[in-house]
Amino acid sequence: MAPASIVPSRPPLDWTGIVFAILLSAAIVLPLIVVGTWAFTEVWRYPNVVPQQFGLRFWNQTLTRPDVWAALTLSLQLSTVVTLLSAAICLPAAYAFARMSFPGRTVLFFSFLAGHAFPKFGLLIAIAAIFLQLNLIGTFWGVVLIQLVGTLLFMIWIPVAAFQAVDRRMEEAARDVGAGPFRVFWSITLPQAGPTIAAALLLSFVGTFYETEGAWLIGAPGIRTMPVLMISFINNQMVIQYGAVLSVMLWVPSFIALMFARRVIGGGAFARGFGG
Amino acid sequence: MAWLIIWPIINAVGRTIWRPDAEGNYGFNLSSYVFFFSDQYSIDNLAVTLWTTLMCAILLLVICLPIALYLRFSQGRLPAYVQALAIFPMFVPSIILAYAFIRVLGPNGMVDILLNAVGLPKIRTPYLTPWGPVIGLVWDNIPLTVLILLSGLGSVANQAVEAARDVGANRLQVFWHIILPRISNSVLVAISFSVLGIFSSFTLPYLLGPASPEMMGPFMNRTFREVNDPLNAITQAVITFGFCIAFGLFYVRSVARNQGK
Repeated sequence: MAPASIVPSRPPLDWTGIVFAILLSAAIVLPLIVVGTWAFTEVWRYPNVVPQQFGLRFWNQTLTRPDVWAALTLSLQLSTVVTLLSAAICLPAAYAFARMSFPGRTVLFFSFLAGHAFPKFGLLIAIAAIFLQLNLIGTFWGVVLIQLVGTLLFMIWIPVAAFQAVDRRMEEAARDVGAGPFRVFWSITLPQAGPTIAAALLLSFVGTFYETEGAWLIGAPGIRTMPVLMISFINNQMVIQYGAVLSVMLWVPSFIALMFARRVIGGGAFARGFGG
Repeated sequence: MAWLIIWPIINAVGRTIWRPDAEGNYGFNLSSYVFFFSDQYSIDNLAVTLWTTLMCAILLLVICLPIALYLRFSQGRLPAYVQALAIFPMFVPSIILAYAFIRVLGPNGMVDILLNAVGLPKIRTPYLTPWGPVIGLVWDNIPLTVLILLSGLGSVANQAVEAARDVGANRLQVFWHIILPRISNSVLVAISFSVLGIFSSFTLPYLLGPASPEMMGPFMNRTFREVNDPLNAITQAVITFGFCIAFGLFYVRSVARNQGK
């Protein structure tokens, strides 16, 4: 056999892909690397390309600030309450939308999705005007309610898609051998829809944790969540590193958590929910 | 639950057009709208918002359409890497993005450091200019735009593209005659979605944009919170609804159509 035929033919270099990969790496990854570097920097003076002194001094300083702890506790409480409330409201609704036909179903479904058909901050202002009359401005529950609006979309249509994807024949088979409706739901429906619903809960929790606009409009200055605290760190800029440390400390765990929800986002159903 | 979305909007429209005059008699009253459209500062803010939205929409299409096309017609590890990068900003909260952006493109930021290292002059930083929010908002909106376009490109059959190639169509002709007609709906959905998100965005314009003129988001926030003038803030909100209504209706129609599938 001639040696030439043994050598596998090399596919042509994917130049388009290489150009995209380089440009996107620079535009997407570089800013985050810079934040990460600042978090572990003690001295970095212009025009040095790398910091003069690395260290953890600012982690220590940030973590001993009482306002950071207060904001972190408050944000965790808010996210938990909002996610639980959202699940309590949306999951039964999602099940009904996916499985049952009832009068007004379409209108109701779209009223849940309507939140994204309006410019968001305008909607928040309209809600805030009502909260002003109800004395909800600057209160914990005011912020809970306004953050709930942002979770509705995810918590409705991702679970709707999950319930629709459950194999109906398995449910019917279970019913045929005598399982009751609750038993069918617990043993057949939930295990199949569960992972997707867990992803929706995760998206909802992390999304609420970082929600800035509603928390700032309704809550500040009394209710200081983590992003609201971060805004004041950015605006006042006493020490650059505080913002960097907060960014790394808060973002890395959420990022890892969100990676678990990636399957849902990468799937076609996610974009279709937006009408794509 | 609908009262949390639909009712505030009806309430906002009602409160801005049916309200008391100087004597306290309720009636049809458009004076807050007249004020908005006769106040130069409000008009400037609306104009900068429209400009920002338009720039972002154009940039998003120019950046995301080629990425989506590349991802649709390639396979392997490199496209998977490109896709992961394109979706990545979805996992970065805008508050962290704003901070990162200031450290990279702000005065004496990373870009200045790198330019200086290779002996080039500093850039005129986009931070605190109208371009600041544009760059931040484009960064933030890349993932959804790519995903929506990619979802639309999924409906373009390989056979259709191959058939066109067989009869001698070049890449541009294939794009123009075969692909574009099939994804025009997705393109419009992607634009609608970005416009709705960008038009009244708050965090990035507030942290990265100029203090004056400001975009509608920070403007509404300041009118509501600092000036303590709910009536004019709601009027501004209703005006943003008016400017976005066509995009909102288009979005709802597209979701409705997809529900039927």
